[in-house]
Amino acid sequence: MAVTGPVTQPLRRRIGQTGFRPVWLAALAGLLCAGPLIAVAWLAITGTWTDYLGHIYQTRLAGYLWNTVIVGLVAACLSGVIGTGTAWLVTRHVFPGRTVFQWMLALPLAMPAYAAAYGWYDLTQAAGPLSMLPTVRGPLGAGLIFGLVFYPYVYLLAREAFAAQSADAYDAARTLGCSPFQAFTRTALPMVRPAVAAGLALVVMEALADYGTVSHLGASTLTVGVIRAWAGEGSTPDAARIAMVLVTITFLIFMGERALRRRARQTSASGHRRPFQRQRLAPLAGIAAALICAAPVLIGLVIPAARLGWRALSTPAATGLWQAAGHSILLAGLSGLMAAFVGLALAYAIRTKTLTGRASARIASMGYGVPGAVAALGVLIILGGFQGWLDGAWRAMTGSPFPLLLTGSVIALLFAYQARFIAAAIGPSESALSRVTPSLDAAARTLGARPLTLALRVHWPLVSSGVALAGLLVFVEVLKELPATMILRPFNMDTLAVTAHNFAADERLGQAALPAVLLVLVALPPMVWIARQITASERQRDAIAPSDAFPGLAE
Amino acid sequence: MMLRLPLIAALTAGLGLAACSPAEPDAVVNVFSARHYASDQEVFRAFTEETGIRINLVEAGGDLLIERVRADGERSPADVIITVDAGRLHRAADAGLFQPLTRLDDVLARVPDILEHPQGLWFGFSTRARVIVYARDRVDPSEIQSYYDVASPAFEGRVCVRSSSNVYNQSLVAGMIAEDGAEAAEAFSAGIARNMARAPQGGDTDQIRAVAAGECDVAIVNHYYLARLMNAQDSADRTVGEAVGIVFPDQGQGGTYVNISGAGIAANAPNPEAARALLRFLMSERAQRAFAELTNEFPADPSVTYDNAVLDGFAGFEARELNVSALGDNAAEAQRIFDRTGWQ
Repeated sequence: MAVTGPVTQPLRRRIGQTGFRPVWLAALAGLLCAGPLIAVAWLAITGTWTDYLGHIYQTRLAGYLWNTVIVGLVAACLSGVIGTGTAWLVTRHVFPGRTVFQWMLALPLAMPAYAAAYGWYDLTQAAGPLSMLPTVRGPLGAGLIFGLVFYPYVYLLAREAFAAQSADAYDAARTLGCSPFQAFTRTALPMVRPAVAAGLALVVMEALADYGTVSHLGASTLTVGVIRAWAGEGSTPDAARIAMVLVTITFLIFMGERALRRRARQTSASGHRRPFQRQRLAPLAGIAAALICAAPVLIGLVIPAARLGWRALSTPAATGLWQAAGHSILLAGLSGLMAAFVGLALAYAIRTKTLTGRASARIASMGYGVPGAVAALGVLIILGGFQGWLDGAWRAMTGSPFPLLLTGSVIALLFAYQARFIAAAIGPSESALSRVTPSLDAAARTLGARPLTLALRVHWPLVSSGVALAGLLVFVEVLKELPATMILRPFNMDTLAVTAHNFAADERLGQAALPAVLLVLVALPPMVWIARQITASERQRDAIAPSDAFPGLAE
Repeated sequence: MMLRLPLIAALTAGLGLAACSPAEPDAVVNVFSARHYASDQEVFRAFTEETGIRINLVEAGGDLLIERVRADGERSPADVIITVDAGRLHRAADAGLFQPLTRLDDVLARVPDILEHPQGLWFGFSTRARVIVYARDRVDPSEIQSYYDVASPAFEGRVCVRSSSNVYNQSLVAGMIAEDGAEAAEAFSAGIARNMARAPQGGDTDQIRAVAAGECDVAIVNHYYLARLMNAQDSADRTVGEAVGIVFPDQGQGGTYVNISGAGIAANAPNPEAARALLRFLMSERAQRAFAELTNEFPADPSVTYDNAVLDGFAGFEARELNVSALGDNAAEAQRIFDRTGWQ
């Protein structure tokens, strides 16, 4: 997508002088966003060393790792099959409802994983209405839930990769006597492998960082180990150490995915591209395809939401839900707004191709793989340290501590959200910005535009939809966020996620249901908008490619 | 594509203002609570109504609350810290987050000694008992008069219990360590791990439902989850409640283990007078009744009467004469026992 070549190369090198370049802002934002993770690493290194790690090593570490592997594998396999299969169906075939399924298949992303877990466990446990099915529980059950709510990452990426693929290899395979399925597995599938791997990396990172789902379903992953070190042993340094094991695994997945993509880029550098002819399915096959596409949406979103909703109907509603919904929308909206601008700044930083700029953007993205509770602990450490420093300095001058600044304020919450989710905002902005060619900058500058005018009048109209998309992705993530919201929020500020969790933690599923359903309802309109925006590439040349719309996928 | 940012901006305007309204001293009390029950909403509402003191509330898990108060240091806005478990209060006390309870002697006089911190840093205002429920049609209650009976070979493959990550199980075994020693507690944990009908999953209510559905024969749960089912509006829930019986274990052999919901005043409370007023109110007859009637907890003040037939039917058991602070002392050891014996 980026314009490269002998003519534009010198110009690109000089973008620093011609374009808007807030590298200092990006570096600061990157450092701030990585702050909580660095604080946790610091705690892990400097905290008191006890024999707890030895004890865990001898008792449960193997189990934690084993469960983590199973949860990750099941989630990856399921989301891989669903995501790739449905993407193949909607990009290469014509069947009833295809255009609707195109965006509808992305919707389960709006369902918080723990809410889907409560719904499915309630349905399938021994006393539930679907007790004839195996109970959704343990590492298999947790992996299943993650596969069902996170497969849209794979779907969106695979869909774009299939759509961008040339028909040559597939047609050649068919001419040489392959069945459609053989041609799919031998030509189309290998070529989308990097995109699928990128989606799977996101799925696995989300699955491994989760606590609510695995604790309810009894799947002791490493995240459970982190929380037990904290809650049971009462040792935050040991919790931080186990968290660092998890962060290392996440980092390896992240690096592996990037390595795979770099290799793939070199092998698919053919200039010629002949677009696909969509195959019209026979009526029966068409109905089967529609059912296959409907199934993941039903299982991942509609059925658990309906179960929770049914529970909500048979229980008196909790009070204060409208207020909680208001808080959810406000916090998520404000975070989305901020993330849009910080993400854009970081995207500008990447565009300058300076080491500082690129490194800040990458460091800022790392927070995505940290379990929420650990990220919250990191934020507390940073805010506490900052407050302590202020207190000390202020006391030296006035003899009294400095007024409490940050914790329990909206600012602390917004900081935590940026640190955790900024990665989701960098990609879309980066992609949008890549449409602004260096020659455009040069032309505008020649005509007398100052850098700020250039950014506002030339760039902004081109990138605004990508920036809005970045903000909305963060909006949905923040709506679902739990631990940081719980501990950093101001007094009397419940959100839907907090309300749902509080009731569910007290085993009042009926009262937890309504806020959970409201959460999905609030998340749905933006999700529909995102999904339609991302899948609009056929309708609109200007659209954002999903490979750029998700964290870890930029470059 | 049209930009939606103005809409978001409009929605979010004014948030900053709402978040930081300064309060007059002692017209307000800041509560950090790990409880989230309907009874508390009612109690807090009544408190404001009677005293005119407004309540600012943050609810979160006990561990996060402790970290927050610790991070905020001497400028922490917390006045009152409430948790649902003695172990968390103990940890907060160890971290120096409480100040001694002064000028509350008349209130504390009504709290049984075993529900108070030995040095007077916190007290329990309501109690919950860790009990055994059993399938009425398959189990004779005489078989399960002690916790240790549930761990005996006779119940192999018949026991449902939630994860040992849960603080209620932790506190139960912590109590056993204090009373019977670590070896006995470890043998108990190993027996439970062997006897499990299924890997631990769900909460206490799910264990009761599983007993009623026949997936297992006995379960160890907190008493109020059963009381809640028996008092439920939903007839299916009441059927579950009727299918199971309840045993308060160790009667005549030391008594049933109880845990508390407890509260203390934060070391750096900016509104200590209001905090004292709230603690006083938590022990008032009105609040004590609310805990019994709305959350099915036993009031800490044994003289309080309430209108809850189910809970009344449970009352009168012999509770363990063990100071609840011992639960906190042994919590970490209890979890290591779980880890060693394979109680997930």
